[in-house]
Amino acid sequence: MNLDFAQIVPYIPFIFEGIKVTLLVTLLSVVLGFIWGSILALIKISKFGPLNWLAVAYTSVFRGTPLILQLTFVYFATPQLTGYNISQLEAAVLTFTLNSAAYISETIRGGILAVDKGQWEAAKALGIPYRRMMLDIILPQGIKNILPALVNETIALLKESALVSTIGLADILQNANVVKGAIYRYFEPYLIAGVLYYVMVMFLTWIARVVERRMRRSD
Amino acid sequence: MIKIDNITKSFGQLDVLKGISTEIGKGEVVAIIGPSGSGKSTLLRCMNLLEVPTTGSIAINGEEITDPKADVMRIRQQIGMVFQHFHLFPHMTVLNNLTYAPIKVKGMSRSEAEKKAKELLARVGLSDKAGVYPSRLSGGQKQRVAIARSLVMEPEIMLFDEPTSALDPEMVKEVLEVMKGLAHTGMTMAIVTHEMRFAEEVSDRILFLDDGRLQEDTPPKEFFQNPKSERAKQFLEKVR
Repeated sequence: MNLDFAQIVPYIPFIFEGIKVTLLVTLLSVVLGFIWGSILALIKISKFGPLNWLAVAYTSVFRGTPLILQLTFVYFATPQLTGYNISQLEAAVLTFTLNSAAYISETIRGGILAVDKGQWEAAKALGIPYRRMMLDIILPQGIKNILPALVNETIALLKESALVSTIGLADILQNANVVKGAIYRYFEPYLIAGVLYYVMVMFLTWIARVVERRMRRSD
Repeated sequence: MIKIDNITKSFGQLDVLKGISTEIGKGEVVAIIGPSGSGKSTLLRCMNLLEVPTTGSIAINGEEITDPKADVMRIRQQIGMVFQHFHLFPHMTVLNNLTYAPIKVKGMSRSEAEKKAKELLARVGLSDKAGVYPSRLSGGQKQRVAIARSLVMEPEIMLFDEPTSALDPEMVKEVLEVMKGLAHTGMTMAIVTHEMRFAEEVSDRILFLDDGRLQEDTPPKEFFQNPKSERAKQFLEKVR
């Protein structure tokens, strides 16, 4: 076996710098994807014909094509189509937001429909307008139902964010690639990258458990 | 106060209400009874438009609520409804269950809403439960909170849809006591119930429904001692 961690030590801070980018892409995409996904879910359960159809078609397209294709498409085709020179970070966040919103919207839709029908009736009987009812009564209960699924989506997104290395964005994986190129060793940089991802996922899982416990206060 | 004029309601092929007309006066307490599937709950749910009648009209204080242009939200704020399964908001404390609608829908200030809510909780005997979540309450307590939640909106009419049917027997009384107290305050009430003794004692009139039709509309004494229709006789024999 040919292992030499001494050589890689000077490069470790460089790989660690990728954490910032990985986290930035993941968190921005999760938050924006959640907002956009909620809107899509509300459109899907409303009975507003054309918009409803658009939301369903949107979801179908984003779930039906590879994420790496979507990323490549956004990054390389945007300048060609619009003339706007999209940055790597913008392309990454945009793609992951649009993509995760498609998945999250289905999860939220399921969560909303699982809320007891009596809750809708009680809200209506009190004269609570539709928008308020959805935001204050139905969504909070629906989201509580799907919290574990949302955490899984966040974890999946964190790992999938490694795809941004394909457009050269300096995340953990891309920095490991760079180190590999500099020292001609594969095992050590990728091992470090792998450990970083794993620790981040464990951290997210722990946060999720804490949040879930807090939300179950009312049980 | 409520004028129901020849309403029908169909769910697809199923005709649940087949032409019902009646009136409920201000301060009147009306018990709606009948076998299951007779349309009692549907009739009640038409009164706050949780179900929209297929034909016919309903007017409240002369305002036709079945008019497609009617402001449904405002009308519902004047009509409280209590459900068989309570339907408290599980993610809010008891106090917030009571104050949510007055603050967010009626625009009442938080301090005023909380003052009113606490008065009502005292009235239903649950002052000590203001800060707890509904999951900590017994069925009877939940139903009393649900009644208070409706009352805090200061409705003119209260609808009760089998309010004690989901309760353990020993909790029925505490809910009926609260309802009795409410009846004495002059509240207009329509109650779908299987509690015959309660109906006889508290109501001013009995509406007996069978097969989507109003078979009897009589004072309770007359109904229970001397029912006119054959169906009512059969029904009473079974339930007593």
